[in-house]
Amino acid sequence: MIRIAEVYKYRGHECVINGVNLVIPQGTQVGLIGPGGAGKSLLMKICAGLVRPDSGSVLIDGTEVVGIGDVEMTSVRSKIGMLFQNYALFDFMTVEENIGFPLRQLGGRTEEEIRDEVNRLLLAVDLPNTQKLFPNELSGGMKKRVTFARAVIANPPILFYDDPTAGLDPVTSGKIFALLEERRARGGTTSIVVSHDILGMRDICDSFVLMDHGRIVFSGTREQIEASTRPFVGQFWRGEADD
Amino acid sequence: MTKHTQAYVAALSPTQRRIAQLGVVFVPIVTQITDILRVGSLAFYYAFKKPIRWREVLQQSFFIGNRSLAFVMIVLGFLGMILIFQSGFQAKRIVGDLQGMGALYLQLLFREFAPTVTALMLATRVGTGIAAEIGSMVVTEQVDALRMNNAEPIQYLVVPRLLASIVMTFVLSCVALCVAFGTGMFVANTVFEVNVATFYNTSLLEWGDLIIFSLKALAYGITIPIIASQAGLAAFGGSEGVGTATTMAVVNASLAVTILDFVLSGVGYIFFFS
Ligand SMILES: Nc1ncnc2c1ncn2[C@@H]1O[C@H](COP(=O)(O)OP(=O)(O)OP(=O)(O)O)[C@@H](O)[C@H]1O
Ligand SMILES: [Mg+2]
Repeated sequence: MIRIAEVYKYRGHECVINGVNLVIPQGTQVGLIGPGGAGKSLLMKICAGLVRPDSGSVLIDGTEVVGIGDVEMTSVRSKIGMLFQNYALFDFMTVEENIGFPLRQLGGRTEEEIRDEVNRLLLAVDLPNTQKLFPNELSGGMKKRVTFARAVIANPPILFYDDPTAGLDPVTSGKIFALLEERRARGGTTSIVVSHDILGMRDICDSFVLMDHGRIVFSGTREQIEASTRPFVGQFWRGEADD
Repeated sequence: MTKHTQAYVAALSPTQRRIAQLGVVFVPIVTQITDILRVGSLAFYYAFKKPIRWREVLQQSFFIGNRSLAFVMIVLGFLGMILIFQSGFQAKRIVGDLQGMGALYLQLLFREFAPTVTALMLATRVGTGIAAEIGSMVVTEQVDALRMNNAEPIQYLVVPRLLASIVMTFVLSCVALCVAFGTGMFVANTVFEVNVATFYNTSLLEWGDLIIFSLKALAYGITIPIIASQAGLAAFGGSEGVGTATTMAVVNASLAVTILDFVLSGVGYIFFFS
């Protein structure tokens, strides 16, 4: 379970995360949506302990991550898989080494086991025979799929996906969403999905959170969000332009 | 400034406010120095902790050598010729005798020019390289990805560069010394007709010179990668962030080399040459 309470983050004078409270129950998948610059990526990084908020608390399975030391953070982080918006692929490693990295860091597996697992995932994301390529030899969409594979390879119980389908064609993004859905259906994974592809996300999230200017402006299930009479919520959900 | 601080500043007397304004200058400097010390101490902590990525250390050593060998040789080669050419004329005018020039020159190279000028070259060449590499890893979230996988970035990225730099700064300083002495000898021989055997004179060299040479090379070899790594790790924003980090790395590293040179020369004077 993830429990975010009264989190504030300033950048200079500007409040970029403005008093966020959110509870994500064990085993649910939450869709985090909102316009560019709303603070979605930043909120995820705060949850992962990568950015320290100016105040507030974040509990991951009961462990406070705000302000804890690196050693305690190690055990929290080994539970979290993260797909980064800007790929974050190690440019000095091949595709194979990138995807296998989390397993290698965790230890306890032979090189052969790691290779098999990497190959299995590469097939799942439709990237066979790319093992020896370097990230700069991949297209944007291919990189996204590699980061997806790296995020999920260790089967972490908590997953943060930051825009997993950006820059993908509709067919591939459908496949990625199907993989997310498969993971959710298996149960046990608590996850946050950030995406601008609301159509694709509609059916794979248990609930949705809409952020704007660092605040949570709406949160609820798909039915609740569709029934909302607030203009901003409806407009954003249906992708209508302001008049 | 938050609302709270704004109100606080408004309540200050003019004198107090002037003192507070000093903070605008000093706070960033102090923050940066603290951060450099933090990166440095963590790097040392991890340098003595397993695992060390030796393959990466080797690769980084190769990068440093490859990037800077020709550069250092050319600069020090010309500098050696210029130094002997200029000082030869002065010496001829004042003393008239150039027999002792080689011995003095060798001492000067050991104590000062070989390690320090090499370090200044490395501050630009290696410092920018490290800051740009680490900085671009920061802005593309690769460093975050390392941390998410419990690979401490300082252990993973800074330690191999630190170890490589310590070794290569020493090696390159030795190369620089030989090259500068060789080209100096060439000018002394052709322009001032000093015999090669007379020029090659180690009579003034003491253990202190060797120790100061090594101490300086070691200090620069530690300082440059640490300062450059700190600049890289502190990068933010997009590619302009990487640009700022690189500039900061060169400025800080050159400054640090100059200050260390001053301090270590003083140490040498007190302990060995007084
Ligand atoms: N480490 C940080 N510290 C302070 N402010 C930050 C930090 N990282 C990002 N910000 C600021 O937070 C704001 C929100 O950025 P964020 O990247 O979270 O937006 P986003 O909702 O993910 O947008 P997009 O949909 O375009 O990805 C921006 O104004 C950004 O400058
Ligand atoms: Mg984002």
